[in-house]
Amino acid sequence: MIAYLSTLVVLVSIGVLVGLALNFQWGVAGLVNFGVVGFVALGAYAVALLGPHVGWFAAMLCAAVISAAVSTILAFLSIRLADDYLAIVTIGFGEVVGILLLNEDWLTGGALGIANIPRPFVSLVSAAHYDAVLLGFALALVALTFVTLEILVRSPFGRALRAVREDPIVAGALGKPVLRLRIGAFAVGGAVMGLAGALHAFYLTYIDPGQFTSITTAYAFMAVILGGRGSNTGLLIGAGSIMTLLEATRFLKDALGVVDGAQLAALRLGLVGIGIILLLILRPQGLFAEPRKRVRDFFPDDDVAADRPAAAALSARAWDADSPVPSFQHRESEVSSRESQV
Amino acid sequence: MNVAVPIPALSVRALRAGYPGGGDIVRGISVDLAPETILAVIGPNGSGKSSFVKTLAGLLRSREGSIEVTGKEVTNLSPARRVRAGLAYVPQEANVFRNLTIAENLKLAVEFLRGRSGVGPAQEAEVLAMFPEIARQPKVLAGNLSGGQRQMLAFACALVSNPEVLLLDEPTAGLSPKFVEETMQAVLRVRDAGVTVLLVEQNVAAALRFADEVMVLVAGRKSCHVAPSVLSGADLTDLFFGGASA
Amino acid sequence: MVGQLIVDGLATGLLLALPSLALTVVFGILKFPNFAIGATLTLGAYAAWVANTFLQLPLFAAGAVAALVVAAVCVLSDMLVFARLRDAGSIVLLVASMGLSLVLENICRFSFGNATRNFDVAIERPIRWHGLRISHEQLTSAVTVVVCVVLVQLVIYGSPLGRAMRATADNPTLAAVRGVERETIVRITWVLAGALLAIAGVLAGLDRAVDPLLGWSYQIPAFAAAILGGLGSPFGAVVGALVIGLAEELSVLVLPTNYRQAVSFAIILVLLLMRTQGLLGAKAVRR
Repeated sequence: MIAYLSTLVVLVSIGVLVGLALNFQWGVAGLVNFGVVGFVALGAYAVALLGPHVGWFAAMLCAAVISAAVSTILAFLSIRLADDYLAIVTIGFGEVVGILLLNEDWLTGGALGIANIPRPFVSLVSAAHYDAVLLGFALALVALTFVTLEILVRSPFGRALRAVREDPIVAGALGKPVLRLRIGAFAVGGAVMGLAGALHAFYLTYIDPGQFTSITTAYAFMAVILGGRGSNTGLLIGAGSIMTLLEATRFLKDALGVVDGAQLAALRLGLVGIGIILLLILRPQGLFAEPRKRVRDFFPDDDVAADRPAAAALSARAWDADSPVPSFQHRESEVSSRESQV
Repeated sequence: MNVAVPIPALSVRALRAGYPGGGDIVRGISVDLAPETILAVIGPNGSGKSSFVKTLAGLLRSREGSIEVTGKEVTNLSPARRVRAGLAYVPQEANVFRNLTIAENLKLAVEFLRGRSGVGPAQEAEVLAMFPEIARQPKVLAGNLSGGQRQMLAFACALVSNPEVLLLDEPTAGLSPKFVEETMQAVLRVRDAGVTVLLVEQNVAAALRFADEVMVLVAGRKSCHVAPSVLSGADLTDLFFGGASA
Repeated sequence: MVGQLIVDGLATGLLLALPSLALTVVFGILKFPNFAIGATLTLGAYAAWVANTFLQLPLFAAGAVAALVVAAVCVLSDMLVFARLRDAGSIVLLVASMGLSLVLENICRFSFGNATRNFDVAIERPIRWHGLRISHEQLTSAVTVVVCVVLVQLVIYGSPLGRAMRATADNPTLAAVRGVERETIVRITWVLAGALLAIAGVLAGLDRAVDPLLGWSYQIPAFAAAILGGLGSPFGAVVGALVIGLAEELSVLVLPTNYRQAVSFAIILVLLLMRTQGLLGAKAVRR
């Protein structure tokens, strides 16, 4: 029983961590990252390669740092790009990581992967009780990450990010360093993805490239959309439930003799796809949406008086009531303003 | 005295409209335009002039009220259908296809007007005669034209559909005084050719000089609808800034 | 042998031109990058395979059937998904297309499993020409693609429908007030994209084999090609595809063969960093 629960909790935790990371990058900072799985893989392989040498804890930290560093580089190269293009670049990155992992077998073991990955606290308890330890570890990691991200979101950094997401032009006019903020957000998300990869490695103790597929990215997006972009609490609840549901069905294979393994996998993936579509259509704001704010609301203390004419002029341009209809950007504001009227 | 009343070219009744999720910007406007008239719609910033004309064109869905073009109800028609019903629209900005040549812009303007009478080579020739500069260089990309030339092309494209009513959104915006004069002369010629024109204008002086009738909009409502000669400078100041409504 | 690489590169590039065209046309008119391109191609391959294997249709007819099926699926997807998100912004549409990609790919996987399938065609010996080896598949592919591309270019640049499509891409509201019903153009665009992807699926299935991940291997190169040519430019998409095909094949001179996909990615990255308009398209940088 404990073994089953532990597996479930660990798998859900990994998914939640990735979701929290993407929530920070996309929900809070507005950056589309389709290469999520690449960063998770980086974290897992970092732990696998360094763990035997420096111990699990240091390896886990390295995983976060390495993933954050690579995120920074990628962001630095592409953060100026419009959202569409950033999505394309990150998906390419995910693919390239996969290719590198598969082919650079002198480092990664290629398709065979790496085994014997050290686990946290494994020497402290007997093998019989380890499942409970891992369960506790996973929960602790999630809790710590959640708290840290919540603090970040509520900090000036987080407010600045949300302002940049809402209207980069006005935020820039108010003096916020738009590019640096975005790169920072990407790096933070990357670090958490690295941690998720570490947990994955700890859980399985054996990794290979085949474990890291685009379904991870899809899960993450579904989680963020379900939870309401920007809300960590929403993500926790929403993503938690969906992950639990999906992971629990993984074990149905034995119960449902009528479909085989490949078909069950296809069913699960297909349902994730349908889930994403339905969510976007029916409840784009997720379970716990952020109420719509204006850039000024994020900075009540800033002296905007001096900047007001310029900012106001820019605001007027951005929210021009006489702009042509239908406008592609209106839908989100339509939904949000209805929200704030309720 | 009994006078036979001709069907108004454009008849608007109690029109209400606004952007999705927002309140009414057009707040119950009623107006009739007699055929071959130029009506200038003026008013302070934010009075809803542009939104009014967009509602007439079908780009903004009306919430209440009706719109008729020579007696035909167009209130629930898509913009494409309204063109076929005789209602042409020239937006203020982005009023030509920059990635298409002049010839392609003009061809497009007539290709999808199934059922519209009077459309054809004869009409096109007539229109191009009004805008010789455009006729001269059919292969040039519209994006490479000057602002004034794009304006003329936009006019021409609207006119080749043989409209009954032509809606113009600030046709003289951003034009030099010489072009303002030319544009307004073109509008006069268009009216003389039998088209009814409704134009939104920021340039009140030009509006008063060339229009047959003037309608003042304040805060989404019709403040008054009179001949230009009736309005004095003081009246306008009052109407624009005094918030008075008729 | 560089000559052979060039032949292979052109063949690859030509095949890539179809999904690249589909992508660019959808982007131009619907204003979002369609991440379901690969999965749609896979669907086309399977549809043709079913027609070829179970209905005993020759490949040409099977391809036609596939084109009809996929066109219908694309229109249906538009009605059910994209139409409801029409003005929701390109990111929402992009994520929705990713969801659709999952659905389409896994319908194929559920129905046919992961095993590779092959078309029922006679095996023929390659043609030898001046020391170069050209397979019959490559030739069929090339001819089919050239015919498709020429037809599409003629339609887009020389017909009223093409003008209407370009106008809608340029300015949909203006197109509306000039008599062009946007929704009609949108549906036609999906039919075109679906047909192109189905044909590409058949050709890809000929070239490799049919399995659920067939289309995915074309997704990134197709994006690279479309971006290279400028997203939204049909002519550019074809040119971009040829360049990417050649680059991928020629890259084996300097890189291990497994890194071909990385070539496309590297090209995308370099392009977007340096010359954000591609060859003939709109700017990609946000302010």
